[in-house]
Amino acid sequence: MKLPSIRTLRKYHRIARVGEIARRYFAMNAFDGVLTILGVLVGSWFGNVRDAGAVVTLGIAASFAMGVSGFYGAYMTEKAERSRSLAELEESTLCNLRDTDIGHASTYATIVVSLVDGFSPFAAAVIAVSPFFLGDIIPIETAFYAAFALAFAELFALGMYLGAISRDRMVLSGIKMVTAGLVCVAMGYALGATA
Amino acid sequence: MSKVRRLVLDVLKPHQPTILDLAVRLGDLEGVEGTDVVLNEIDNKVENIKITLEGPHINFDEVAAVIQESGGSIHSIDKVSTGKELIEEANTPQDISARWMR
Repeated sequence: MKLPSIRTLRKYHRIARVGEIARRYFAMNAFDGVLTILGVLVGSWFGNVRDAGAVVTLGIAASFAMGVSGFYGAYMTEKAERSRSLAELEESTLCNLRDTDIGHASTYATIVVSLVDGFSPFAAAVIAVSPFFLGDIIPIETAFYAAFALAFAELFALGMYLGAISRDRMVLSGIKMVTAGLVCVAMGYALGATA
Repeated sequence: MSKVRRLVLDVLKPHQPTILDLAVRLGDLEGVEGTDVVLNEIDNKVENIKITLEGPHINFDEVAAVIQESGGSIHSIDKVSTGKELIEEANTPQDISARWMR
């Protein structure tokens, strides 16, 4: 199978309007990834897990699960929606569109969106968990503080990114995302206090 | 064998790719010197366009392949001009009376 050129891929990107959808999925799923790993960190902290290896295992396992879920979920959903749109268009044009630019663009969009949906939560979670990879070098408490700091930094950066896209106040947008993270930590603290 | 010098097609296509992309691809074909694409009708899914091509030797199969790859379908070939020089249709008395009736 011949791989399409960069120029052809750009054309498919334009036809299928992948940029808009991919941006949306990236932000949404990276946010999911960070909050999930924040939950893992909060649970580990208040559950008195003080072994870096255990936190890494929990974190990476959660990251993989989110990645696989994101990829497959997006792939099946996007494929179904795009097949339906193509079928509706074929009713209007009265010809088979599978082997045309718009058919190939639909396939391209499905793959790209699925990859973004799978990779973004995985990457966001792994970044937050990364201080624990140095578990043999730094104290466990330092690793926890660094992981929390990274997670909140990611939330703030995501908020600023969304603010930039919507041409809204970036810092305010970042603060709103961080607030969601604080709610997550507060819930974890309340759970730990009552347990 | 005489070569096709001018071709006018009635085509139905989806909105994407745009007529800009289609016109560029048709203009890049060997034997095509000029391309004109006009939008006739449009609805929320498809658009009807008129494509005019001129050149020293237009290959209809290549033109049809480009249109098909872009998701379009040729509804009709409205005009063809072949030969060593381009000529316009000749007026006849029947044309004048038909125009009057319209």
